[in-house]
Amino acid sequence: MARRVAIVEDDFDQRENYRDALQKSGYDVDTYKNRPDALKGMKEDMPDLAILDIMLENEMDGGFDLCRDLRALSPTLPIIFLTARDTDIDRVSGLRLDAWDYLTKPLNMQFLSVRINSLFRIVDSLGQPASEESHTMVIDDLEINEDSMSIRWKGQELSLTLTEFWLIESMARHPGHVKTYENMMQITRQSYVERNTINGYIRRIRNKFKEIDSSFKNIQTVFGVGYKWNTGD
Amino acid sequence: MRAGFSIRTKLLMVALLLLLIPWMSYVYVRDMKTFLLSGQENALSLTSRAVATILHDRPELFTEDRVIRPDDSDDSEVYATPLSAYINLNGDLSDWGEQATQAVTYLPDNADSNLDDSIKNSISVDHIIGYRGNFIYAMFKVSDDSVVFRQRGFLRVDAADHIRLTLNAPDRPEQRYTLIARETGRMSIYLMDENWHYPITGEPNYDLAAELGLTDEGYNVELRIPRFMLSSETRVKLAVADVDDPESLKIEALVATTPRNDKDDLSRLLIKSPEIAKILKALDRSDARIWVFNTQKRPTAVVGSINSDDDYEQAVKPSPNDNVWSSLRYYYTYSLQTIFSYIIEQPTADIEDLNDSVQQRNDEIIERALAGEITTDHRPSLDKRSSILMSAHPIYLGDEIPGVVVVEQSTKQVLGKQKETLENVISVTLLVLVTVATALLLFASRLTLRIRRLRNATETAIDRDGRIVNQKLLAEAKSGDEIGDLSRSVSNMLERLSQYTNYLRGLPDTLAHEVSNPLNVVNSSLHNLSLEIPDSADSKYMERAKNGVNRIGSILRNLTEAANLEQAMQSETREAVDLIELIESYVDGYSFSNPEQAFEIEVYSRPLNVEIAPDYIAQALDKLVDNAIDFAAPGTAIVFKARRLNNFAQIDIINQGSHLPEGMAERIFEPLVSLGRKDAQKISLGMGLYIVKLIASFHGGDVLARNLLSSDGVIFSLSLPIYSAQTNE
Repeated sequence: MARRVAIVEDDFDQRENYRDALQKSGYDVDTYKNRPDALKGMKEDMPDLAILDIMLENEMDGGFDLCRDLRALSPTLPIIFLTARDTDIDRVSGLRLDAWDYLTKPLNMQFLSVRINSLFRIVDSLGQPASEESHTMVIDDLEINEDSMSIRWKGQELSLTLTEFWLIESMARHPGHVKTYENMMQITRQSYVERNTINGYIRRIRNKFKEIDSSFKNIQTVFGVGYKWNTGD
Repeated sequence: MRAGFSIRTKLLMVALLLLLIPWMSYVYVRDMKTFLLSGQENALSLTSRAVATILHDRPELFTEDRVIRPDDSDDSEVYATPLSAYINLNGDLSDWGEQATQAVTYLPDNADSNLDDSIKNSISVDHIIGYRGNFIYAMFKVSDDSVVFRQRGFLRVDAADHIRLTLNAPDRPEQRYTLIARETGRMSIYLMDENWHYPITGEPNYDLAAELGLTDEGYNVELRIPRFMLSSETRVKLAVADVDDPESLKIEALVATTPRNDKDDLSRLLIKSPEIAKILKALDRSDARIWVFNTQKRPTAVVGSINSDDDYEQAVKPSPNDNVWSSLRYYYTYSLQTIFSYIIEQPTADIEDLNDSVQQRNDEIIERALAGEITTDHRPSLDKRSSILMSAHPIYLGDEIPGVVVVEQSTKQVLGKQKETLENVISVTLLVLVTVATALLLFASRLTLRIRRLRNATETAIDRDGRIVNQKLLAEAKSGDEIGDLSRSVSNMLERLSQYTNYLRGLPDTLAHEVSNPLNVVNSSLHNLSLEIPDSADSKYMERAKNGVNRIGSILRNLTEAANLEQAMQSETREAVDLIELIESYVDGYSFSNPEQAFEIEVYSRPLNVEIAPDYIAQALDKLVDNAIDFAAPGTAIVFKARRLNNFAQIDIINQGSHLPEGMAERIFEPLVSLGRKDAQKISLGMGLYIVKLIASFHGGDVLARNLLSSDGVIFSLSLPIYSAQTNE
């Protein structure tokens, strides 16, 4: 049975393009053009994943409100924000509402499919008992579970978005090697990423580590080039 | 501030215009003086006319003069001077006052007898004739070595020292009187025979009176003759007879005190007309003097004085008891009067002028009045200190002009009035001037203060980078006048400006947001198209379309970057870093990814500890290096120079290449200001250097651009405050 993706987007063209693209990728797609319709529809028939725009018709923060309502209905529903709003505040707000990812328009459709795939993989792995540890990578205090796409630092799990996971994973896979900005832009699987955006990701990642371990220093800036993962030495 | 006069100075200069008021009053008062003087002249003229009218056609007043004609000049004349007081007949000459000094000394006449020198020297007579009221007085001051009184039982009255008086009226026989004394005191006066030996009758004459008093040198005699005994045509002779030897009783010498000539020894006695004086007395004015002159231009009568009694008020020096206010007033008035004495003609309290005893006056106006003309004139007083107005009017007797009335008055009253008026005007004006100037000064100071406050508030409302700090000016915001209006307008303007700049700042973000959605449509449509028509995926046009979409995407990122950065920096934590290390590793890294670009680093001070968010500083360096590379001449190196300047770490990033256009050095850090680009494919929105500025400001530093002086090239200087660990620990 095909997985079902709900798309909430007030712009007809975009909505239909998403639908076409995702249907071609083999998903069932429900589309909604505003918050009340979406809430009503999803209440009746909960999708496997929801993609929300933040601005919905005349509701400035309609997406955030919808996310909150959906979260109440289903704590585990993967939710992705896909929006033109690109401010730090919006990102933080979205992720605070337990969204799984925050993507900005314009978005490459291929990347969207990849993300959705990855998210479903995470969902799948969460549903299974964590018996197999073959896909776990351990570098000193860092544990990366590639199946559930989760990361532990000193035994404690970090709450990460998909993009953040990918960035940590790519750095940690080759400790001591510099990941250039260009590399990292690819890894985010988003269309248009500036250095500033990368810096923002790294800053938020560092903060998440520091919440667990205030002496965390393993992600090092290589000025003018990018970042690298340092082992504890 | 541009140089110029302050409002205060300008207002004070305007206040100086008030000085025109005293000047105006001066001119006015001067004109008023002319007017008053002409009024006074008119009044005088009227007075002289009135006096003359009274004297018209009264021949008796001038009879005494009428006889005297220029052709009678062979007649000798004796003048009687007017006396200031009636003479008390007592032999004491002190009541003759000043007139006594005019006495002439007479000696025995050589021609009269051939006396020897000893006798001649034994007698001399000081003599003068005066008149007052209805009496003529004669004074004799005789120096005589031996005074011989008349002896008892001796009938002859020429056998002692005596005085002889001869009166000759044309219609009467000659009358001879002898004044003789038995002792000091009242003298006996007898009408004498021709030989002066015996009295015609034994009865003394009681109309005449004389008194003798002894002195150290001899004796004094005062003689009084009533006027009725003398008509205007009476001629007189006076002589003192000296007897020295009491035994022989012989007259040693006869001293005539009246002139003698070839015809006879008689002389005309000239006195001023008491009749006229009597009439004039009724016209007496305290401030004017009325003269009547005869055809000889001799005064026949004079009354009044040109010195009036009213005194000018002199400021009274304050006593210690007086209050401060009156002392203040005294000093104010006193100092003003001192000043005025230099500006205004000062009337003198007393005028020294011709006194009544003047014998003859030759003023032109008398001459002209005698010719029948009515004239006014003025002359200086004798002391030259004030001016005297004169008005002359002829007196008519039928067709003849027997005399002239002259009225004189000093101008000091007019001057006094002028002075008083001017003093009042000037002192009041000065007070007003001082008050107004003070008020203006205070007003202007306050105005200046307020304007300055407003200016300061306005200047601080916008910071050095043109950002609006205060939207509302507090200074003068509540004032109800124009300055308050100005303040409110500026506030209003700032508010609108601030709204506008906020709109401008938000514009790139809004724009990016709005463009994102259609761009997403294009993007996703292209994706779907390539899925639907697989052939299109390989088309070069699909490639170019995606390229274009990518570029639009980049532009959007570019536009939103600054706004995002500002937000992001707020949550950034700073750390202490050695800036030199950062630059070195940055250049290493940059060279690693761009090996074709050459760099040089010149370090002048190490370490340069700064407290920064390294990622952002690196981002700023990125932008600066990108910019430097864009404009560097091909093949030249980008030079980094790091040094410490006071409390700042300064990084200079220098590229060889063309200079910045004029005026660009200041503007280049503003958003959306771009120098243009070399590569059409490369996006140049002018946000990069704006971001550098934002980052520098966020760190409490600054960034500047300028052209190299020595060669073609541009230098960008980023300065950041030095971090000292001591202050933080």
